[in-house]
Amino acid sequence: MDYQQLAKKIVQRAKKKGAQQAEAFLEVGRQSSVRVHEGQIEDLTQSTSKGVGVRVLVKGRMGFAYTSDFEPAALDHIIDQAVKLAGAAAPNKLNGLPAGRDLGRFGETGLLFDTKVAELPGDWKIKAALEVEKAGRAEDSRVVAFNAVGAGDFVSEVYVASTEGLSGAYSGTYVFLYSMPVASDGAGLQTGYWVDYKRFLDDLDSPESVGREAARRAVRMLGAKRVKTQQVPVVLDPLVASNFVSDLAAAANGNAVYQQASVLAPLKGKRLAGPHVTLVDDGLLPRGLATAPFDGEGVPTRRTPILDKGVLTGFLYDAFTARKAKARTTGNASRSYNGLPAIGTTNLYLEAGTKSPQELLREVDSGLYVTALLGHGTDPVTGELSAGANGLWIEKGELTYPVQEVTVAGNLLQMLQDLDGIGNDLQFRGGSVGAPTVRFRQLTVSGE
Amino acid sequence: MPRASASPRRAPASQLAPPVARGPSAAPLLPQPLVERLLAVAMERGGDFAEVYVERTLTTAVMLEESRIKSAQTGLIQGVGVRVISGGKVGYAYSDDWDEPALLRAASTAAMIAQGGGAERSFAVRRAAVPSYYRVGTPLMDVEVSLKTALLTRADKAARAFDSRVKQVNATYVDQTRRIAVANTEGRYTEDTQDLCRMAVQVVAQGKGGEQRTGMYGGGGRVSFSHWDGFPPESVGREAARQAVATLGAVDCAAGPQTVVLAPGWSGILLHEAVGHGLEADFIRKGTSLFAGKLGQKVASDLVTVIDDGTVSSGRGSINIDDEGNPGERKVLIENGVLKNYLYDGLNAKLMGQRTTGSGRRESFKHLPLPRMTNTFLAPGDHAPEDILKEVKRGLYCATFGGGQVDITNGNFVFEVSEAYQIEDGKLGRPVKGAMLIGVGPEALKNVTRVGTDPMPDPGMGVCMKDGQMLPVGVGLPTLRIDNVTVGGTKVA
Repeated sequence: MDYQQLAKKIVQRAKKKGAQQAEAFLEVGRQSSVRVHEGQIEDLTQSTSKGVGVRVLVKGRMGFAYTSDFEPAALDHIIDQAVKLAGAAAPNKLNGLPAGRDLGRFGETGLLFDTKVAELPGDWKIKAALEVEKAGRAEDSRVVAFNAVGAGDFVSEVYVASTEGLSGAYSGTYVFLYSMPVASDGAGLQTGYWVDYKRFLDDLDSPESVGREAARRAVRMLGAKRVKTQQVPVVLDPLVASNFVSDLAAAANGNAVYQQASVLAPLKGKRLAGPHVTLVDDGLLPRGLATAPFDGEGVPTRRTPILDKGVLTGFLYDAFTARKAKARTTGNASRSYNGLPAIGTTNLYLEAGTKSPQELLREVDSGLYVTALLGHGTDPVTGELSAGANGLWIEKGELTYPVQEVTVAGNLLQMLQDLDGIGNDLQFRGGSVGAPTVRFRQLTVSGE
Repeated sequence: MPRASASPRRAPASQLAPPVARGPSAAPLLPQPLVERLLAVAMERGGDFAEVYVERTLTTAVMLEESRIKSAQTGLIQGVGVRVISGGKVGYAYSDDWDEPALLRAASTAAMIAQGGGAERSFAVRRAAVPSYYRVGTPLMDVEVSLKTALLTRADKAARAFDSRVKQVNATYVDQTRRIAVANTEGRYTEDTQDLCRMAVQVVAQGKGGEQRTGMYGGGGRVSFSHWDGFPPESVGREAARQAVATLGAVDCAAGPQTVVLAPGWSGILLHEAVGHGLEADFIRKGTSLFAGKLGQKVASDLVTVIDDGTVSSGRGSINIDDEGNPGERKVLIENGVLKNYLYDGLNAKLMGQRTTGSGRRESFKHLPLPRMTNTFLAPGDHAPEDILKEVKRGLYCATFGGGQVDITNGNFVFEVSEAYQIEDGKLGRPVKGAMLIGVGPEALKNVTRVGTDPMPDPGMGVCMKDGQMLPVGVGLPTLRIDNVTVGGTKVA
């Protein structure tokens, strides 16, 4: 089926049925994943899927409907539904699809599709996952079990069309490996987690390295204990630091800012952190997992600095929120076919610093190195962070014993001021949010 | 991830759905001869068991922002999944294309997990009776959308009228009519229609010097639309506004161990995280839960009796059948502190030589079933709630809750408290901000020293996440006192 043509047809049908503006967003994908357990396949899943969402505007009112059924009658039905539902929404003159001037030309994305991934033989994933498990056991005899070990890939295609002259499509590939081993010392159990997730097979870490790293992370937590309640320097490893980076971006969401429901709302143009702190959302990052020519409503993606050398320079917008805020869309409409566009991030990362992670630790006399967080992180409205933490205690610049059942707490704005060290080890571990090791001058650790 | 979390804040806004061509509900979702054919193809390489799962889910969602209905939407997601079990191995394939060739392709893909040579076999299925724990009159998908948008407008008005410090109100209403059919090579065909609705209101209040606090409240369940007559949207809006305003002027939470008293209801998230997930049979079978091998052992205070109950009338987590076609059940998991049972799905039960507890649940046809909770409660005790508070000299009263999360392996769980007060000489003092509780499941439950006489279910908005699969769940707890809990906060004494 020619999906680009189908998207255009849906738009034309919607116009005929009374929509002044219409947009079709269509996704098609196929995926395959495997999990292994004790040297055997545990489960193997394969599928194909598809769906289309239709957004219409009728007299300033917005309606939306979606379906995974591409039969002509089903498509006609959702077009009717979208037009009908527009009648249930309030008219708003700010409603509307991105205007022609926002659509423009798509930027240079580089390659998004790897034929090696698309043509990966089924037994590659099985072999790779088995190798991950084996490497984990080989790393340390205290690895006694696995919650899950797996591998997978998928191929996705996106097509958009609208009455505003939009027409676009791209396809991409993804491949991943992960391991969740459990280590035991007889007295207690601890878990580790490690993953690698890439668009290109050649970029993917080897199964052996994924397996060994996950095992190391589990084993080093054995014998973890609480520490006393105190305020100390806290270092986040890149996996954990990416949560902090996501929380910062959530507070830079243009809608939250417009609604004054973000601590960052009144601070545009202000210095929030030292000149070593630069936070960027980049929809065109070469080989990035979220790299795409256009966003969820067909607007070209781009590079948007949020914090530029410590100064809050920008917020993230989709077309509707940009109109509300009298700003321009930044191409950050994020969506799947079964939801309306909402502001999200693309490839979001904190720029690397110059010091190695070891140097950052070496400068800490007594503090906590956090390797896993529990909980939902920072409240973007108040900026309060409170989360459970696991990790290792730092004493005189060296990692010592493991720590668990403590919390770390602070406030986003204070944390930005206190962000006194950034590592040179930027990585995108398991997603499109990247971070290096980061160090805060002081956070509250709550324990005994 | 070995982690699982529950939260009233994570609403599945888009995963929930209108009809395209729904037949009379007596007609099977998929013709019986086709189902039987799929089972035969699934078994052609000699699997031990095969199952066909059919789903058609219709969702309607409306959203209010700045006192206006921002959007109304509707959608359909439908598909068929075929699962084949061969020894301990599982093959799964699904298709959202209902064309016969596409479905047969899915069945033979799933069959490939079995290596044996196939003999042609046939599998007849018979429709089995299904219990009824939720009786819905008019399906939610047939209720006029204007009635749904009116709920939000009413809630918004009530929230804004509550206090002039209310600055923002966002409200959503989502309902879902989900039809599932499960057929397997044991000859059983079951079907269920699961209606579910949920409304949620979020409020931002602004106090002196630009201080902002938030409130969030909502509810729903497997109910008919008349539910909102007895649970009016005005009460939802007011409660969200009350929470936001009540916490203005809150002081920083003191960090370190404290005695805590939990208000009844939502606080059941504690139970869901502290013990519930750790009792799910997949973690038990693999030996990755700290509750593995502890049946019959004391794992909590004598005062603690934990029940997972899929049969609660109209409950958000209730199920007539689970997603393997087995009836929903009431299970006592911990009785007076002693571990009595785990939560089993069919596969783990079989591999462990047990019987399923009707706990096999999945988010959709795109997912494999996992052992999951339904509605998880703590049985009431015999302490009067007011006495529980009165006895505490210094501590923290936890009134409203955000989400929670657990690491099943080491038992560490967290539990976010969105509205909390200092307790001073048995009375509520100043509101406290940024509080979070952390503990290790069995240790926290051993420190339970008072259980109230006031059991209360949550209002019906819980979402549980495991392995990336979101499910509706219920929780409930009477007033509870736990001693020596580590409270996260920013203030160091």
